[in-house]
Amino acid sequence: MSQLSDGQAEVVQGGVQARPGSGMRLPRLYLAGVVSVLGGLLLWEVVSRFLVANALFLAAPSQIFSAILALAKSGELWRHMSISAIEFALGYAIASVLGVMIGFAMAESATMKRALQPWVSGLYATPTIALAPLFILWLGIGIWSKVLVVIFLVLFPVTINTEAGLRTTSERLIEMLRSFGASPRQIFFKVSLPSAVPFILAGLKLGIGRGLIGVVVAELFGSRAGLGRLIAQSADAFNMPELFAGVIVLAVAGIMLTAGFGWLENRLVPWTKD
Amino acid sequence: MARKLQVSHLGKTFGELRALQDINLAVERGEFIALVGPSGCGKTTFLRIVAGLEPASSGEVTLDGRAVRSPGGDRGFVFQSDNLLPWRTVFANAIIGREVAGHVGPAERQRTMELLKLVGLEGFEHYHPRQLSGGMRQRVNLARALAIDPEVLLMDEPFSSLDAQTREIMQTELMRIWEDGRKTVLFVTHQIDEAVFLADRVLVFARRPGRLRESVVIELPRPRSLAIKRTAEFVRYVDHIWRLIEDDVRASVIEEKV
Repeated sequence: MSQLSDGQAEVVQGGVQARPGSGMRLPRLYLAGVVSVLGGLLLWEVVSRFLVANALFLAAPSQIFSAILALAKSGELWRHMSISAIEFALGYAIASVLGVMIGFAMAESATMKRALQPWVSGLYATPTIALAPLFILWLGIGIWSKVLVVIFLVLFPVTINTEAGLRTTSERLIEMLRSFGASPRQIFFKVSLPSAVPFILAGLKLGIGRGLIGVVVAELFGSRAGLGRLIAQSADAFNMPELFAGVIVLAVAGIMLTAGFGWLENRLVPWTKD
Repeated sequence: MARKLQVSHLGKTFGELRALQDINLAVERGEFIALVGPSGCGKTTFLRIVAGLEPASSGEVTLDGRAVRSPGGDRGFVFQSDNLLPWRTVFANAIIGREVAGHVGPAERQRTMELLKLVGLEGFEHYHPRQLSGGMRQRVNLARALAIDPEVLLMDEPFSSLDAQTREIMQTELMRIWEDGRKTVLFVTHQIDEAVFLADRVLVFARRPGRLRESVVIELPRPRSLAIKRTAEFVRYVDHIWRLIEDDVRASVIEEKV
């Protein structure tokens, strides 16, 4: 008779309903962060204007900001950004697909794992970025040498996480499905794969930072355009505001990509957040 | 009544350890059997062999005359921990057995909805497990096993992780659901009073090696309400079973301490 109301009383609060007053709490939540960033910028401005006061060593945030505006107006910024973005996106996409595939192969076959594990462990630990000059020698100073560097840096965390995610599937969940007479294939698609998704996403998230570093460092070694090129040529010309402009744009890109990833995780794997 | 489940000379060894020895049992269709015993008496292993999750070392289990060797749609297993898939909704969790069997049509959906209603989860079909309490999750666990319309329901201490009050509610709910369909049930529990309250027959297991000590027929009238737990007859059953396993339980407690 009052089955439903009994059940309702058991629901854990806060799951689906929006928390009342959350709109009020948000600004206060971010207050410390905003104050910290603004204070840091102010300190930087003061230090670079009055303490260092040498444009060869440090640029003030205000100078960097106007440098970014000037670069944007001349179209230089977009040229560099789009080249770096293409290099990153290509390398990242290829590494993601390859990494997930290799991770699957290693999780599914013991022979594959034994064959590939030394390579994966070895190359993950190696600072492959040091091979960038070699890649440039092989593939030229165009985008493909940078794409290859990004692939090398992103591939291994994705591979390792995919493999670990598939291997650490809860035995109890597998047994549950087995009790219904599920085939190995059904167990893979209904349990192992979904439970590996949070791991795969964590590997991809780790790959963002590594990939961005890869693009920039590879461009430093030799390129026609890109944010790394912008930074290198600004350093050669002792143009500190433009050098910092390149760095800031990279930092913002990294922050935005990571934040976007956090949003994606909340949408795709909300059960890992509790 | 027709014989549903037949267990003959069943034995199970794990290496040197004899987990089960010479179990013989006949279960009638629609009978509610509870299995009690000290930890390590093999009652859960027994249930898993009947489920086909574990092979027997000797002897055999037959269901309607056919030997049991692997899991199948004729048996539904209710696990001790709910084992719900966190990325699936209540409904998607409950229907997974049907999915595995390969056909999810309107009839299967309809039946799953009805079962969720039966276990008291109407209106929660689209919730995710993390939004539910332990009691509600166990209801999904039960609905999931019932959704394949099994002939035998195998329950492995399904209420042991719940608090005392929720457990009593779930016991009466299970009684209500069982009266509705009269499935054959094997119910493993640590709690003697739970066993006596639910079962037509309580199988008392002994340990080292795991074996069947006694089969106690519970002749309490049905339907039973919680009030029956305070009757002298009920208490007599509980006392009797407790005396059967008391020494074994003491021995196992001492062993666990060492």
